[in-house]
Amino acid sequence: MKNIRNIILFVVVGNFLFLNGCSDPNTTAEKPAGDKEIRLWVAPNETQEAFWKIAVERWNDSGKGTRVYVTTIPATGSSEHAILTALVAGNAPDISTNIFSGFAAQLANLGQLEELSAMDGYQELIVARHMGNIMQDWDQGGKTYVLPIYSNPTMVWWRGDILRRLGIEDIPQTFDDVYRLSERYAASDNKFGMQVIAGKGWADRWFDFISFYYATADGAPYIKDGKAVYNNSAGRSVLTFLETMFKNGWTSTDFDSEEPLVTGAVAGAVRGPWDIAYFKQMYPDTLKEIIIGPMISEKLPADKTFTFADSKGLVLFKNSKVKEEAFAFITWVLSNDELSLLWLEKTGLPPARGDLTENKIFKTFYQANPLAEKYAAYVDVAVPPAFIESTIDAQKAMGVEMIEPVQFGTKDRETALADAIRRTNKLLRLQR
Amino acid sequence: MSKMFGKISEAQIGAALAISYLLFNLVFWAYPFLWLIILSISDWRFFDTPSFSGLTNFFVVLEDPEFWNSVWNVVRFLGYYLPIVLTCSLAFAFGLKHLGRGKAFVALCFLLAHISSGVAYSLVFTKIFSSTGPLNSFLFDWFGFKIPWLSSPSLAMLSISLVVTWKFVGYYGLILYSGLLAIPREIYDAAKLDNTPPLTRLFKVTLPMINAQLIMVLVFAIILAFSIFTEPYMMTGGGPLESTNMPMLVIYETAFMRLQPNRAALMSIIIAVASYLVIKLIRKFLERDVALT
Repeated sequence: MKNIRNIILFVVVGNFLFLNGCSDPNTTAEKPAGDKEIRLWVAPNETQEAFWKIAVERWNDSGKGTRVYVTTIPATGSSEHAILTALVAGNAPDISTNIFSGFAAQLANLGQLEELSAMDGYQELIVARHMGNIMQDWDQGGKTYVLPIYSNPTMVWWRGDILRRLGIEDIPQTFDDVYRLSERYAASDNKFGMQVIAGKGWADRWFDFISFYYATADGAPYIKDGKAVYNNSAGRSVLTFLETMFKNGWTSTDFDSEEPLVTGAVAGAVRGPWDIAYFKQMYPDTLKEIIIGPMISEKLPADKTFTFADSKGLVLFKNSKVKEEAFAFITWVLSNDELSLLWLEKTGLPPARGDLTENKIFKTFYQANPLAEKYAAYVDVAVPPAFIESTIDAQKAMGVEMIEPVQFGTKDRETALADAIRRTNKLLRLQR
Repeated sequence: MSKMFGKISEAQIGAALAISYLLFNLVFWAYPFLWLIILSISDWRFFDTPSFSGLTNFFVVLEDPEFWNSVWNVVRFLGYYLPIVLTCSLAFAFGLKHLGRGKAFVALCFLLAHISSGVAYSLVFTKIFSSTGPLNSFLFDWFGFKIPWLSSPSLAMLSISLVVTWKFVGYYGLILYSGLLAIPREIYDAAKLDNTPPLTRLFKVTLPMINAQLIMVLVFAIILAFSIFTEPYMMTGGGPLESTNMPMLVIYETAFMRLQPNRAALMSIIIAVASYLVIKLIRKFLERDVALT
């Protein structure tokens, strides 16, 4: 009997030790010391991490408020996954960056986010950072839960050498310009005019249909008051453009093999500011030939062409016990011009502020980086995605019901558009 | 050590080992499965307390076309995958049996695919199969046409099946090879004496004699079809036109992107039951007792 008891004890202890060994050894060691500390999670990205480490060090050294403890979002399948797991497990930090609008909408609806617009000093921060116009697109039912840190307008990159070879002097800006270019360039061996479909995933709709839609609709929303509204003239124009490009063989279904701008498979493609650093490192010779133009649209706009903003921000979690202290830190970081410049230098991504081209502090940077300056000029007309919980499904519906059927010719445009609207509205109704 | 275990009977050691196994299954199988059942009849979105919702999730999942389309895609995947992987694995096993030297090396080469990172080779195959990739460039340069391997709704599943076949052909082939080695030579000698043609020998002797190994491979393939994730996620994202959207993709998105873990839990139970039933049916109709007495 005693032996059996020993065996059971041995097995239980053994299993306990085994299971204990599976746990993350850093979880306890990394806990901040001291009574009060603000825990900040930042994007697991070398350049962004470098910025936040410097910013936090300056804040901690200044003694202006509660100490901040910064770590990157734990490595999992995605940032959303890691944050969700931490929230459920009760290990969430006080502040997290790298939050996109759809995820913020989900967390806010689930009561996990603090309303930032109700915090003391919010209005002063918006004024100091010149974010008034930008914040209009981040409104969620009259409240703000996420503050955008950076705003990446999508623009069209053109191979200047190819345009010159084709005798095209002006940068293509309209669908008709792209048709004319494609007709000439696609006549060459196995070439296409422009990459018009960014990829196969739901998120790729930001870089094709939604970008073209915002440009054609002057930044009007594609989802309004809980309903899909892109079955308008702008939506039809964009769909006609995509269909024309595919029907004539002026674009390909995918360009997964190699960067098409480098191989010259296309003369133009939608790209973000992050690609400047990437091309600088990987394809410096191609970058020398790149001319950045505005997003293409049906007609030339009176002023600047609207475009999509690939933007991520920071949130303050409801469970935080240091909300006011944390917001003081947020205010200090975001309203500090020098830190905005540091962000720009470290990451190359335009800070979400409306004075990038006017503020003298950024002048030297943009003089040295003319391609980045092109992006900065469009931050104020770059619109983020719809603030809805069902971002994924809404964008999947665009792809599955509308873009792919038009691409493969299995539906006519009107049916495809109507099907996408119907499916999106059904799921928006279900999630309301 | 021997002194320590000297007073312990074999039965007690066996019990101890069994307890380890039972505890492991309790923690990693029974507890999650019980939690799945609770979730599937609850209303819960990660942060609130689960509340009983009866059959609500069932009706929502029942009316979810994306989920049932993904179940249909399992059937389509098996339609492509089974004949290709069985033929290739058998060819590999026969080839290995008739190979004089270097069997271990050849087997190792094929097994390397099995231990490769799913994400890494999916990226490689995405590039190979791309409409502007090397395979299509070759076809276009030499024959003047391209094949939309991953961008055609009717071909994308076949392309994924080919990639998964590449991964598993060595593993399944070795299982079949072990079955071939176990067939007594005398049976073939007797068949030869009867002037049995090679094809008849294959269908009347070889395949029935490796029935156990074939069933094992079939079961593995069916489990794989219901649980495949990495290849469609990385190569096609479930498209085009949801033609490669598999149940695991739908379950993952439902749980972690739509934040509907209760519905995802019910979907996973349905998939578990469906795969169990298919395996039972396969075994019932195809499994034979071929023990030599």
